[in-house]
Amino acid sequence: MKEEKGVLFGLYNDETELMSAISMANDKHLDIMDVYTPFPVHGLDDVMDLEESRLHIVGFIFGALGMMTALGYMSWIFTRDWPTIFGGKPYFSFPAFVPITFELTVLFSSIGMVSIFYIICGLGPGVENPILDNRITDDKFCLAFDTDGMDQAGVDNLKSFFANSGAAEVHAKTI
Amino acid sequence: MDQFTFTSKQRLFTFGLMALGIICGLIVFFGDTYHHHPRFWTNFLQNSVFFTGIAFVSLYLLAAHTLAYSGWHTVIKRVIEAMSLFLPVGAIFFLILWVGIQGHWHHLYHWAAEGVTDRASANYDAVLAGKEPLLNTLNYLLLTVGLILAWSFFAWKSRKISLEEDKGTSGLKTYQKAKFWLAIFLPVGAFSSAFFIWLSTMSVDAHWYSTMFAWYTTASWLVSAVCIMVLLVMYLNNKGYLPEINQTHRHDLGKYIFAFSIFWTYLWFDQFMLIWYANVGEETIYFKHRMGYFPILFWINLGINFVLPFLVLMRNSTKWKIGSLGFVATAVLFGHWWDFFMMVKPGIWDALHAGASIAEKKAMPIEMGWHIPGLEDIGMGLGFLGLFLFVVLTFLSKAPLIAKHDPYIEESIHHHS
Repeated sequence: MKEEKGVLFGLYNDETELMSAISMANDKHLDIMDVYTPFPVHGLDDVMDLEESRLHIVGFIFGALGMMTALGYMSWIFTRDWPTIFGGKPYFSFPAFVPITFELTVLFSSIGMVSIFYIICGLGPGVENPILDNRITDDKFCLAFDTDGMDQAGVDNLKSFFANSGAAEVHAKTI
Repeated sequence: MDQFTFTSKQRLFTFGLMALGIICGLIVFFGDTYHHHPRFWTNFLQNSVFFTGIAFVSLYLLAAHTLAYSGWHTVIKRVIEAMSLFLPVGAIFFLILWVGIQGHWHHLYHWAAEGVTDRASANYDAVLAGKEPLLNTLNYLLLTVGLILAWSFFAWKSRKISLEEDKGTSGLKTYQKAKFWLAIFLPVGAFSSAFFIWLSTMSVDAHWYSTMFAWYTTASWLVSAVCIMVLLVMYLNNKGYLPEINQTHRHDLGKYIFAFSIFWTYLWFDQFMLIWYANVGEETIYFKHRMGYFPILFWINLGINFVLPFLVLMRNSTKWKIGSLGFVATAVLFGHWWDFFMMVKPGIWDALHAGASIAEKKAMPIEMGWHIPGLEDIGMGLGFLGLFLFVVLTFLSKAPLIAKHDPYIEESIHHHS
């Protein structure tokens, strides 16, 4: 079972308010848990100082794996296991292997990236993810703070921050 | 700085390149050991096809971007336009080549030789007689010079509309007008370029044909044109022009080099594998010659044009950095010049050694200008590059660098990913 934790979040009406609120939070050294938006907001990752995704490295590793699988398997079949002559070509006819190698490279890297992405995000069949507010997939922009282990003064500080930064609503929720 | 000035120093540099080209051309012309100066004329053909194609593809990219409602390219629109305006010069090159066929200055095209279509002649060639409806001198004139002039019309038209745009207050009307003309050019250019390639390049190996060849050549032009765009934009940036170009524009151009290099490899490999697998003698001979007698040309081609851009430009950061992107653009531009070298030279070389056996041809020493490009050949290429740059920079200085009334200009300036 997942541990429960307290979250304090504010809802903003548009992305410019959200962006300025994030900069303000950065200035005050507040520790943002996450930001939820209904659509990708340009420049958000810069302001939040997010690291570049490492998913493409996964793609490269799985692609290389697919390439080696295809080349190794075909070479083994056509030179060791069941040597067959096609159209007078040599057993190890590399050009003929290239299209299949290409296909398996793409297949492995795409399936690998999707699976790893799902695992990182904790998605999958039967998984229930807590939702802070239904409207964050519609027209609200959400800025959330983790309030676990925070004393009352810290929570009040966050509340005054929300009030100053123009949040339309402020809610607390345990997820 | 909104207006590019073509300084006398830059002009002198392009003239220097042209002078180098002419000197190298003369050395090649008079130093040739074969009759009819085949080394000179193959170089001439190679560079003409290469630079004319780059101009054609620039116009094509402009048309494709405009029709696709693309916004990001608008800041470099004037650079692309200036590149496409080199087309009429290409028509002059091919006019020279056509006159050369008529006047027997060169024997680049075996189909144009005396008596190949004449049954009574000793030179009679049944295959070439069968191809006579396509491969004849009138078609050569129409499908090289004629087609280039037709494309030039579209280049001129789009430029005219673009300059009109600067005078008015809103660009929507001119934008739609440009779209109309470029929409006509898109299918016309796409289909007719195949004929241009067949007549100018593929018919050097007159007996051989490949349906992939036109695609493959166009892909080569595409990469080269984007490389020249990258280098020109970097140069302009360096001189303080086009400050609107940001990292994302460079990233997009880098992605183009990366993607079109892979596209080129895909077509190169498709052409190779289908012919290799089918093993039809009259088709395999093309690769048999190139792999057997010209292995340096053949393998380095694949190395520069596929392995290098693929490995270097795979990461985002190498597409952003000016050093790595500039290095790849320069190398790949040279690589595709090399690719055209390999398309043109072996066919002619083989005709020059028609009497020799396979073993004899394989044992022949490496000849500069045939087996690998010699310094004079590279010098001739630089001469053509000088002329190309002269034309492009001249047209670039004739209009503001930013098309300020284009409907997409704001989107382009704020391009960010």
